[in-house]
Amino acid sequence: MDLMSCLECNESIKMTSRTILKESQIMKIHYITGIAAVFVVALHIMMRLVVPFEQSLEYNYIIANYKNIVYVLILEAILVLISVHGFNGIRIILLELRQSRPWENMVTVVTISSMIGLIAYGTRTIIVANGL
Amino acid sequence: MKEIERPSRNNLEGIGGWLNPSRYGWERISYWFQRLTGVFLLIYFIGHVYETSTIVNGQNAWDSFLELTQTVWGHLFLIMVIGASTFHSANGIRLIFTHAGIGLGTPGRPDYPYNPASLNYRQKSGIWIALILAAAAMFYGFNVLFGV
Repeated sequence: MDLMSCLECNESIKMTSRTILKESQIMKIHYITGIAAVFVVALHIMMRLVVPFEQSLEYNYIIANYKNIVYVLILEAILVLISVHGFNGIRIILLELRQSRPWENMVTVVTISSMIGLIAYGTRTIIVANGL
Repeated sequence: MKEIERPSRNNLEGIGGWLNPSRYGWERISYWFQRLTGVFLLIYFIGHVYETSTIVNGQNAWDSFLELTQTVWGHLFLIMVIGASTFHSANGIRLIFTHAGIGLGTPGRPDYPYNPASLNYRQKSGIWIALILAAAAMFYGFNVLFGV
């Protein structure tokens, strides 16, 4: 196969695979979500520790937290950032273990679906608890 | 008609090879810990999202779920989570720098005994700092949870 036809062949693979994000872009998202998660989780833990640990787990205290809009935004940010970072991490591990187009597609679909499911479930808790 | 040969997968160790640290060096151990702590933290996070969702079912549901987790074993598990998250964060920051080429040093001619130039004191220090920070965070968590 000469160079020109090889380039055409590679181009057609790109065209048929419909690449939405390049791996380098996904890796940047992975790093940004990881660093951002460190900051918001630190805020989450600090807000737990402003009162004695046992008191921070009391029902009324938690409900009061869920009614604080700033804290709600922190919780939602944690939920989204860790879900994206965590499920992309699982995707990376699974793609390292095995490589083929069907496997890659299956792993991508399962991890993105799980990520959306977890974010939806956690957001439901935040919304319902905010209304209690 | 001759069958098309499937590519051999005899050299594929899969998860078994991944979980076997016996041939690992420093960087590989930290890679292994990064993966293990990442998977462990995701499992914890899913459990934590489920645990906190019980609050929408009222105080009785919340209190009864807390009884399951607020035990000595529950607290020890939380200390593991604190250690894993601290190591994962600190080592992750080292990896981001490494990916950007920071801390790798300059390339050199490979001479006997062929020590990898990339595994220099900066990388080793980063791994040690991650481990020490994890131990310190676990100690702090132990003090808070067990009130020592």
